[in-house]
Amino acid sequence: MTASDRGTASGMSESTASAMVGASGVATPAGVAPDRFFKYWLIVPAIFLLLLVGLFPLIYSLVVSFQSLTMLEMDYSFAGFTNYIALFKDARLWESLLHTVIITAIALPIELVVGLLMAQLFLERLPGRQIFVSLLVLPTIISPIVAGATWRLLFDNRYGPINQIVGWFAGEPMPLLWTISPYLVYPAILLCEIWQWTPFMFLILLAALSNVDKSLTEAAEIDGAGYWRTFFKIVLPSIWPVMAIAILIRGLDLARIFDIIYALTAGGPGTMTETASIYAYVQGFQQFETSYTAAMAFLIIALLTALVTWAIRRMGLAK
Amino acid sequence: MRLINTVAWVGAVAGLAMSWASAATAESAAEIAVKEAQKYKGQTITIVWEAGLQALDPLNFSGPKWEELTGIKVKVIEVATEEMFTKIMQDYRAGAGAYDALNVIPAWMPDLAAAGALEPLDSYVDKYGYRDELQKIAPTYRDNQMKVGDKIFGFPDDGDVFVMYYRKDIFGDPKLQAEFKAKAGRDLTVPKTWKEFDEVGQFLTDKLAPQTYGAAFFRQPPYTMFMFEERFRNEGGKFFDADSMKATINSDVGVNVLTDMRNENKFMPPGVEQFGFVENLAAFLQGTSAMTISWPPYGRWAAGYGTDQEVLSWVPKSTIAGKVGYALPPGGHPELAAGFALSVASTSKNKDAAYLFIQWLNSEDISMQRVQLPYALRDPFRDSHFTSAEYQAKWPDAKEYLAALGEGAKTGLLDLSLLQTDKYEEVLRQAISKLWAGDDPKAILDTAAGEWDAITEKIGVDKQKAVYQGWAAKSGAYPQ
Repeated sequence: MTASDRGTASGMSESTASAMVGASGVATPAGVAPDRFFKYWLIVPAIFLLLLVGLFPLIYSLVVSFQSLTMLEMDYSFAGFTNYIALFKDARLWESLLHTVIITAIALPIELVVGLLMAQLFLERLPGRQIFVSLLVLPTIISPIVAGATWRLLFDNRYGPINQIVGWFAGEPMPLLWTISPYLVYPAILLCEIWQWTPFMFLILLAALSNVDKSLTEAAEIDGAGYWRTFFKIVLPSIWPVMAIAILIRGLDLARIFDIIYALTAGGPGTMTETASIYAYVQGFQQFETSYTAAMAFLIIALLTALVTWAIRRMGLAK
Repeated sequence: MRLINTVAWVGAVAGLAMSWASAATAESAAEIAVKEAQKYKGQTITIVWEAGLQALDPLNFSGPKWEELTGIKVKVIEVATEEMFTKIMQDYRAGAGAYDALNVIPAWMPDLAAAGALEPLDSYVDKYGYRDELQKIAPTYRDNQMKVGDKIFGFPDDGDVFVMYYRKDIFGDPKLQAEFKAKAGRDLTVPKTWKEFDEVGQFLTDKLAPQTYGAAFFRQPPYTMFMFEERFRNEGGKFFDADSMKATINSDVGVNVLTDMRNENKFMPPGVEQFGFVENLAAFLQGTSAMTISWPPYGRWAAGYGTDQEVLSWVPKSTIAGKVGYALPPGGHPELAAGFALSVASTSKNKDAAYLFIQWLNSEDISMQRVQLPYALRDPFRDSHFTSAEYQAKWPDAKEYLAALGEGAKTGLLDLSLLQTDKYEEVLRQAISKLWAGDDPKAILDTAAGEWDAITEKIGVDKQKAVYQGWAAKSGAYPQ
């Protein structure tokens, strides 16, 4: 079998095979067969790099999760499932997961609905539309830790404008402790989170709505379909694939939420607003429980993987 | 006989002359450090320092001066306080040797020494003749913040002690004095007990608020944790049962302290629960509070010392300069909260050069200059600092200020320092946070005690017990 035979046998024409060899820049001496695995060798460095930076840390942290390593005691011995068993007894972890779920369950629908309403509003050709869209998107380009710190200042009891504004409406000074009071911390966090990330939903949904086939909505209108019927039967199915991706992205972001809450309340009062990410940070980088944190990370990965798989199926994204 | 007398006199005079000459020519620890360090000219040493104002000392003053004297460059790695322990441990575990000299909070020393991250300094102290000057560090710091076991691991370098600052003009107001006497049946004086504090604080708020409240404190958990540790021990509390190592912070004393702390917020400015270092400083300097407790820089800045420096432009302008009095906090045993010691990293590749730098920094001569830097945050920690005529002349009341600091250095209480101290402190920080959120003090402390016990059991009861007993035996652990 000659070189050209191999190229043809693998589904390539002679000209394609020789062009590829030529394109590879490797001169094939007369009578010497080109390396059929050459193309694989070309991608080996990239795959190796990906494995090194992606897979190796994952495997290494899996190994660490079965040890008893802390920053202070380097105990490399096999600890079995000790850390994983401890996770199930750790009430603070489950509370932190519950806090994450609460924040996600409230923030995500609000961001979606408000984002959709805003997108619907800006679908019309309004004067200054582009400027307003640019301004509305500004919060998303701010680092979440900066957004959290800024809102902390806004919520400050003495110098923050929010209490001042509330005071104007109330007719008397309102020393509300937004980041301390158990009744106000969640509203404060949600306000900041929704302020920052609703524009993300808005932008994506605006792009999706702009691409809805107008002939369909016009035909529905001619056929006498009302606004809501058109929206649910034509517009929503048209934008659903994009909307589902946006929900998935924001849902995952919310599941990992850290910066805004850390800057606003640091998980307090007590551990009342501590999310899974904050608790993992506390265990790993303040308490130096390296192996326990690795086990916690794997538990969270497993939960999120199951959730994402379910969501992808449910939203029909895997079709 | 006359000959013997003559010989004795000549001998005595000669002896005196020799000892005088020897004293006159003896080199100071700073001079020895400079002379020895010149052997390492051209090298660079790296030192970990708290980020912010603290780091201006080596960046603007001591680092350039050391380079000028010895030819050794000083590279300053600024690290936020809450990350210092982690960075030091990470460097040690990685064996990178990126740091030569370290600033460590004394409460961390047992952990860092047990891990092997700190170089024992005894041999260097003897080799470079520092033992005599080391003895002149104020006893509380010297005896409690220098050693782990019987080995020296760091030089106490920062007299961080809580002081009560109060408004002399308010306490001296004849009208207020008369009204207080009529109400309380005693003179309006600076409170020496927490009961007196509550009485005076409420009275002043009733009379002067909202312009001035009786008191304000920092209430954010990382700061309040120190205040709880101080007050709990002043009221007779013990952290653990020394035999069983069971936590005893949920005793009646602990519950009373937390209850009183929350009640006191009622006569403090609205929103005091959010006050951190800066908010509380602003309240006091702007005349919004008549009493506060904090670290020594408050006293300097309240007097206006150094606040004309650009780096201190964020400090609110003091409206109370000349009106500030200094006293020990109620109970008389202030917290030696945090503070810093200078150490050498065990993985350093320039140990001698690093050691000589910290000896020079910590010496009588150089530390005297460093504690007077208007912008830096190193506070007096040597006996000579408290009595320095130069320092006492810095502002009209500086003598009283230094006297209060010196008194605090004598009676101060150490931060709790065990294996994995931060885990215990994290529980306290959570407890304080829950307190401001309105939880029941007894329930808070029962939970905290349970969590302390779990931490102790995980570390090993006997292991931790030995460390605790060593700590509790120190003169500054509990009021004597």
